[in-house]
Amino acid sequence: MESFLSNNAIYIVMIIVLIVWAGIFFYLFSLDKRIKNVEKELKEGVKNEK
Amino acid sequence: MLKISWKIFLFLLLAFVSIAGIAFPIVENPHAWYEFPLIPGLEENAKIIFFHVPTAWLTVVAFLVSTVYSFKYLRTKNLDDDAKAYSSTQLGMVFCILATVTGAVWAKFAWGSFWSWDPRQTSIFALLLIYGALFALRSSIESEDKRATLSAVYSLIAFVTVPFFIFIMPRIMKGLHPGSADDTNAGPVVNFKMNGSMQLIFFLSLIGFTILYFWMWRLSYKTIIYRDKLDKKLIRG
Repeated sequence: MESFLSNNAIYIVMIIVLIVWAGIFFYLFSLDKRIKNVEKELKEGVKNEK
Repeated sequence: MLKISWKIFLFLLLAFVSIAGIAFPIVENPHAWYEFPLIPGLEENAKIIFFHVPTAWLTVVAFLVSTVYSFKYLRTKNLDDDAKAYSSTQLGMVFCILATVTGAVWAKFAWGSFWSWDPRQTSIFALLLIYGALFALRSSIESEDKRATLSAVYSLIAFVTVPFFIFIMPRIMKGLHPGSADDTNAGPVVNFKMNGSMQLIFFLSLIGFTILYFWMWRLSYKTIIYRDKLDKKLIRG
């Protein structure tokens, strides 16, 4: 595996692009969770007002 | 129309950078506009510059933005500015970790091991610790205003170290990273034997990632600000 990767360095670049993408994805995922919490709070707030 | 078009532009830009960064060939004597020069000792590995350097760049941009808004908070005492600074610090941390991890993966094949305490690796590790402490500080304070003030002051002080750790220390010390003081075939990172086409893709990549950062940042601080507004409205009833 290691010798394959050092002979075909372009796959290392591919791994690095994947890591960057995974990081951005993880960030978006946590942002999504935060937005969901705000939505929930909003819904409960509207209910309580009634 | 303008509101969607920059997002489409960003998508196309980053798609082009990904394709060009991976697929454009590296040759000894580049002639065509799409050919990259061969850099001795780096070879195909050199293509990491289009994806690894922007993450390190965004770390600096994010921490700079966070410092600017921390300063603004201290002047205006507006909690919205604190939300902006905090979400920028979060993003800076994400990109700092990405720069470290992608660098380590690359180092495994360029230098032989994932981690070798190269000056560049040591300095980014110190940076991770410095900004990591900010999150510990924030989570330990209950009062909103106190938390905002303290973390604004902390991030003002912390940013003083960023230019040293990112730009100065790794360049004046001997090390393995391209751009170190004793690097014979590279030299300062940006103009190391890049030709015009490589520089073009590199700067396009920097521009694309910077726009991406501002987009992510805006989404992030908006959720914090809206949550705060909602909280206040619900409490006041």
